[in-house]
Amino acid sequence: MKAITLQPPKTAVSPSLPRASAQPRQGMRLGRKLKPYLFLLPALALILFWVYKPLVQTLSLALCRWTMVPGTEPQFVGLSNFARLLTNKDFLPAVLNTLFYTVGMLPFAVIIPLLLAVATQNVNEKARRVYRALYFIPMIMAPVATSTIFQWLCAPGTGLLNRLLSALGVVEAGASFFTDPQLCRVIILLISGWKMLGFSTILFSAALTGVNTQYYEAARLDGAGAFRQFWDVTLPMISPTIMLLVMMSVLFSSQWTFAYIDVLSQGGPYGMSTNIYYLMYKFAFNDMNVGLCAAAATMFMVFFGILALLLQRANRKLAFYDN
Amino acid sequence: MIQSKKHVWSSVVKHGLLILLAFVAVFPLYWLVISSFKDAGEIYSASLIPMRPTLENYVYALQEIPLFRMLGNSVVVSLSVMACQLVTSVLTAYALIRWDFPGKKVVYGLLTLTWLVPFQAIMVPNYVQVNAWGLKGNPLAIILPYLASAFACISMYQSFNSFPRALLDAARLEGRSELRTLFCIVLPNMKSTIASLGILLFINSWNEYMWPMLVVNGQESAPIQIGLKSFLGSDTNSWGSLMAATTISCIPILVLYLFMQKRIVNSFMKWGIK
Repeated sequence: MKAITLQPPKTAVSPSLPRASAQPRQGMRLGRKLKPYLFLLPALALILFWVYKPLVQTLSLALCRWTMVPGTEPQFVGLSNFARLLTNKDFLPAVLNTLFYTVGMLPFAVIIPLLLAVATQNVNEKARRVYRALYFIPMIMAPVATSTIFQWLCAPGTGLLNRLLSALGVVEAGASFFTDPQLCRVIILLISGWKMLGFSTILFSAALTGVNTQYYEAARLDGAGAFRQFWDVTLPMISPTIMLLVMMSVLFSSQWTFAYIDVLSQGGPYGMSTNIYYLMYKFAFNDMNVGLCAAAATMFMVFFGILALLLQRANRKLAFYDN
Repeated sequence: MIQSKKHVWSSVVKHGLLILLAFVAVFPLYWLVISSFKDAGEIYSASLIPMRPTLENYVYALQEIPLFRMLGNSVVVSLSVMACQLVTSVLTAYALIRWDFPGKKVVYGLLTLTWLVPFQAIMVPNYVQVNAWGLKGNPLAIILPYLASAFACISMYQSFNSFPRALLDAARLEGRSELRTLFCIVLPNMKSTIASLGILLFINSWNEYMWPMLVVNGQESAPIQIGLKSFLGSDTNSWGSLMAATTISCIPILVLYLFMQKRIVNSFMKWGIK
């Protein structure tokens, strides 16, 4: 995300309340001052009502016990939800899986696409356009449709991928990927990775074509080999794109996996593929334990908020903008 | 001579890598479509084209679930969401480029901070709210929370930012009203941007899964994603009919992509993903 520097708001004119005998000119002045707010009103009111109001409610529900039954009121229970969350048997596995999905996403969103883009630099423009159109397809596919396709590809004994892998001896014949505690989360990660792979490659390719070729010539004149050119020219020049994709996958990859988990495994087997966001959904809508869900949401929002701040700071330090 | 030989080889390797990645990206979609045309005897074979193409899977899927009805629901929901998000974001973007006013930074901050609010942190209160209004199962329940999008507002603002201020000042000197300035001067120049963002918002809404899943009740009012999920979960489906239903659910987006491929890729690259 590029930070946008706003022009500092002009110093506010000293507030003058419209007097009873306000002259028409003053009324017009007030109208003019209100204009921006009138334009902002629809979006701002809706976002306040559907994002910030529920957010505040969730923060307060984290301190309550409630089952969402109509007619009942949330009961204040202090911080006990947090204590129960930390001792919940599903909590730790979900946190570890969140870490698994987040770290596991980096190769698909950053490392492989970066290498691919560098390896395939200078392909002519026409061919590049064709590849781009194909790479982008996973990105626009709906998560539910993607899930059903992969469920068919991985069907025990009959799915194409299943048969291929068992023929190669990677898995036993007829293995059921989505009920295997170890394999399930790997497959879910592969599916979300499949979605990002092409898109990230396109982004990196575009960033690479923007690099001024004079830098490479200068590096070559200095006697830099291919690796040094990559390290000293390519990496710094496309660091904004790298940071953007790192940030997106760190902050959002757990949220992207939600639909796949829900359609393919419902967090199972034995909670082995669940992550923290899916666990929140289960707390609220399976266990009807709103307090626990809200406590987890609060905790992880704070955690990811701090992480975002740190990444933003790292971005400012590491990313290099060529003006 | 050696130089050109080396060049040919590097070109072969490059295209080999690119084709491999293209294969990985497209094959699942290809397998989806050809599976949907295979009959019950052939579905388990690994043949890459259906030997006896049949429509029986489609006929069966359409009998089992009201697919067209669900597609219709999705079209209505996605078009409404897109239209409302465009209108609210255009108004917001115009206010942000047109005036400097007290609280501008706060407004921009409120918009960007929604970035850090995950869906799970707001789902319960919104669910309770929609239920309290008696809207569960009503398509309005899917639409209402998405009438405005901070993502749309920020993206629109970033694009509007490049609009020449001199034109706005000229309109002001001519004494045009703000709405006329917006409609007659800004919007005609921003047509292409608005169309691109509109497509992006439409696709986002079409693919939306979590929220509709919570508030939809029954097949008649379900958008296609939810319908597909319920068909997957039912035991009336076979792989062939499931692939037929999935293919139908993908058609609108794929057709859109076929005709506006360049614009869609560019808008995703420009504004990123949610």
